[in-house]
Amino acid sequence: MSNLSTAGTKRSARRLLKANAWFVFAFLYVPIVVLVIFSFNDSERVNVWQGLSPRWYGEALGNTQIISALRVSLIVAISSTIVSTVLGTAVALALDRYRFKGRRALDGTVYLPIVIPDITMAVMLLVFFAEAFKLIDTFGPRLTLGVTTVALSHIAFNISFVAVVVRARLDQFDRTLEEAARDLYATPWRTFRRVTLPLIAPGIAAGALLALALSLDDVVISAFTAGPGATTLPVYVFSTIRQGVTPELNAISTLMLAASITLVVASLALQRPRSTTP
Amino acid sequence: MSVDTATSGAPVGVPAVEMHGISKRFGDVVAVDKVDLEIGDGEFFALLGPSGCGKTTTLRMIAGLDIPSEGRLAIFGEEVASWPPDRRPVNTVFQAYALFSHMTVAQNIAFGLQMRGIRGAEADRQVAEATALVRLEGMEQRRPSQLSGGQQQRVALARALVNHPKVLLLDEPLGALDLKLRQEMQTELKALQREVGITFIFVTHDQEEALAMSDRVGVMSEGRLLQVGTPTQVYEHPANRFVADFIGRTNLLEGVVEGRTALRLDAGAVVAVETDLAAGTPAALSVRPEQVRLHGRGEAPQGAPCLDGVIGDATYLGHAFVYTVSMGAPGDGATTITVRAETGSAALAVGEPVSVSWSPATTTVVAD
Repeated sequence: MSNLSTAGTKRSARRLLKANAWFVFAFLYVPIVVLVIFSFNDSERVNVWQGLSPRWYGEALGNTQIISALRVSLIVAISSTIVSTVLGTAVALALDRYRFKGRRALDGTVYLPIVIPDITMAVMLLVFFAEAFKLIDTFGPRLTLGVTTVALSHIAFNISFVAVVVRARLDQFDRTLEEAARDLYATPWRTFRRVTLPLIAPGIAAGALLALALSLDDVVISAFTAGPGATTLPVYVFSTIRQGVTPELNAISTLMLAASITLVVASLALQRPRSTTP
Repeated sequence: MSVDTATSGAPVGVPAVEMHGISKRFGDVVAVDKVDLEIGDGEFFALLGPSGCGKTTTLRMIAGLDIPSEGRLAIFGEEVASWPPDRRPVNTVFQAYALFSHMTVAQNIAFGLQMRGIRGAEADRQVAEATALVRLEGMEQRRPSQLSGGQQQRVALARALVNHPKVLLLDEPLGALDLKLRQEMQTELKALQREVGITFIFVTHDQEEALAMSDRVGVMSEGRLLQVGTPTQVYEHPANRFVADFIGRTNLLEGVVEGRTALRLDAGAVVAVETDLAAGTPAALSVRPEQVRLHGRGEAPQGAPCLDGVIGDATYLGHAFVYTVSMGAPGDGATTITVRAETGSAALAVGEPVSVSWSPATTTVVAD
């Protein structure tokens, strides 16, 4: 009897968990599905369905403001990804293998940009740029906010993400392999290039893709640190949405969604340990 | 300790490896403590000891992966103590092989050649030669992950030997293999060493492996090199209590030295020995189980050292019996001696009174 009732409890618990899973799933993805469906709405008004059409994608890509914002976004994303990947990897390597003065402090603070709120980071960077410009201006050149400051800001937070991802990879890295290379007549530099780098490359690539996705998505920090004329795509979307959602925005958002999903999935795929069976 | 080269069988000529007062400290921990060692050209030398005894650190210092805290280290007469590993004419077979997983077998083997600037047809020829040497033909394009443990080991060997090192270092090379494969590889490694004629220095914690494979053995404990000698020497004449106990099975009969030819055992008897230890030194007599003769009580031959006891335990092994003989009062404090007797003689029952004897030449007096 008691066996039967435990089985019954188990069954209803399983059902409840299943229902919860579906609910969470719906909660996360229904808005996205709605967005994607409505981006193909032929209507001028977002809330009136008029049939399927790729019309708004055409309109969006024909909008010069959008194209120029996309250009800014890509410049910022690509440049900040390259720089933060190099610096983040270097930080991860230094923290992983060297014992130096201030290592513990750096170890604790390098991840800070991941946890501090975007708005704090944005205000911080804005104040920093303002003060820095004041100082530099006394020597002559007059600097203003623009694409460069946005890129620098993105580098500032992306370094942390790259460092975290690369370090996870380094944790699994067998240092004996470097000793084997040194034993086989490789100099320290060639050991790094021929053995260490190829083996941690998936981690570096994953970090870079994550950085690219984060840079393409960022609104708050970009909005604060971009001067006029350096509007990124998310900032453009954010500012136009205040005049009401247009089907065009749905289309852009869907495109951005597709881009970031691709990047994050690729990043996760690279972080997965490679299977050892042929 | 000093090694008597006249009796320890060290070859003459320029030694392959020469260490004088080599120590290695990691912080406060002394991993290797003032080791003096000479290894001859073409020798198969085993560094033997329990884990943490400093044998791997010693090997790593020869490879250049650890730098000695003090002491002199020469390879074929050349002082190398401060040289980086890539400049030393030695190669290592690592414990877990440390194969490059992102390269094929052929690329792994070619790595050392490439780093020394040997490329193209000449590199291909040497890789093919090394591949054939370890019988890995047909596997060249595979990845290490597609190979069995034994095959990976061969790749590690080929990757080292292709460089024609002056000394090959092997860190527990058979440790990751199962028993049957390990025994096969013992024979194979030995044959390989004879074929290439390179000095092999081999680290192991397995005393049987060390005795079976090497020309000479160095026994280490707690960072110190306790004894260097041929397998027969370290087995038959251990330098101290640790070596006697670590190499093979032995009976250690506690006592006190009475003079150059006598040891008073705690069990009571005074037995004939040969020793250089000073009178009054607490010492133990190491008697190997297979050197002890069993007799009926009082039937032991005259002149040989002899003790009386009763059979405390008997184990049948098929090809031999192993008896434990208790001397004196039974219980925890009683001295026991293990005897190994060939089958064929009649089995003795537990509790039977017996005498045990041995030839003094087969025993060694050992102190701490």
